[in-house]
Order: sequence, then C-alpha cells, then structure tokens
Amino acid sequence: MKPFRRRGGELVARLEPAEVHVVALLLDQLEQLLTAEAEDVAGDPVVARLLPAGHRSDPEIAADYREMTESALRSGKADDLATVRAGLPPDGGTVRLDPDQAAAWLRTTNDLRLALGTRLDIREDTEPPEDLAGEEGHQLAVYYWLTGLQGSLVDALAAGRAGRR
Amino acid sequence: MAGPLAPTRTPEETVEEHGDLDRPWVTIVWNDPVNLMTYVTYVLQELFGYDEPTATTLMLQVHEEGRAIVSSGPREKMEHDTSRLHAYGLWASYQRDS
Repeated sequence: MKPFRRRGGELVARLEPAEVHVVALLLDQLEQLLTAEAEDVAGDPVVARLLPAGHRSDPEIAADYREMTESALRSGKADDLATVRAGLPPDGGTVRLDPDQAAAWLRTTNDLRLALGTRLDIREDTEPPEDLAGEEGHQLAVYYWLTGLQGSLVDALAAGRAGRR
Repeated sequence: MAGPLAPTRTPEETVEEHGDLDRPWVTIVWNDPVNLMTYVTYVLQELFGYDEPTATTLMLQVHEEGRAIVSSGPREKMEHDTSRLHAYGLWASYQRDS
C-alpha cells in the first residue's frame, strides 16, 4: 500500500492486488450484515455497533429514533459501500477519489474497522500482532492495515482543510 | 494529541460554552476503542463547524473522561445530530440534559 495523500483536488493511494482482494471481501461481509433479515442478526454486536441506539436508557425514545433514522442510515451505508467498491482497482493500482468519494471511503473504512474491532474485541491497549499465524493474528493484521489506510485518508483530508484557511 | 494541536481551554469550560441551560437536550459522544482520535476530531469539525482547537478539546474529553457533550438544543435537532454522528460511526446518543 502507498497511503493516501492529496494531489491537487484529489486523494490518491495505491493498493496491491491482495489488498484490493481483502477489502472487497470485507465489503461483501459488511453488506451481508447490513442487508440481513433482522431476526438473523438480532443481538449481533457488530450490527448493534453500526446501528446504535439513539438513547441509552429510554427504550421508547430509542425506538422512536430507530424508526425515524435507521432506514436513512442503512441506505447511506449502502451508498458509501457501493462507492468504495466502484473505486477499487480490480487488479490493484491507483485509487483516486474526489471529495465526495473520499467521504464515502472515510465512513466505510471506519465501519469496516468498527466491525472487525468489535469481532476481535479490540481494547484501547490492544497492540498490533507480532505473530501473524492463525486466524486471529491474520484478522488483527487486517485491522491494523485498515487503520493505516483510514488514518492516511483522515490526515490528508485534515491537511487539505487546514490549507484552505 | 499533544503538540501544536494542544487545546488552549479546559474541557469543562468548553462544555459550558457549548451547552445552554435554556435548551434541555444534548448530544453526547461516547468513548470507544476503535475510532481514531484524528478521525473523531475531523468529524466534529466537519459536522458541527468547530474550529480545530475546539474539536480537539472535545475529542480529548471523550477520550479521557469517556464522554463529551458535542451539541445542545431542541430534541429534534439532537436526534438529527445523533444520526449524523452515527452515519460517521461515532458512538453517540442524545438525552435530556441532566
């Protein structure tokens, strides 16, 4: 990976073919979770994290909130996911984003990190893995790779905003 | 988050500045172990128009105290603010100010 940086009005990064493959797989899994029947994902901690309660102690207000906002939240996530998928170079290569596409990448890479981080029970003091053997080591490595990718996008966007002042 | 972005005011002062006792609902962002500190700061600037020092102060309050009030106003506005934060994956909720 060559992390995101600003080039003119665009955000540009380079992804290896294997990295594109991993992101595409994660997008498929995220999409499955977000389009699953409610009863199939009831109690799933990842779904609960991606579509959180609006009120912490009043179930009635939380239900009102969900009724009013959840379908828009879901369709926004679906649109973002489609934008990221469309911007992936199939065989690896350059990712080139305008500001709207960059916002979609920012939100979707965050959702992927939230999903993986919830599954892996990431804590504030979790460290990157030293040993990549095993499924969990591999998933942790993917999580930290996504952190690097999203972090570079945040930094490039923040630097661009500071530059406009 | 030390260095040039270090906040110039204490979190308590900032909350009072953005809170309003006449308007009883607030939107709260809660700490979570996944969202990057730089990301939280960026999103607070993007959604609420805070300048960087203010957004950084609120982010640090979330990180260190577990939560921060990021907006206050009528209930409908707080619902809207919460849903905008949820669209960015921040862990947010709204409630009547206590």
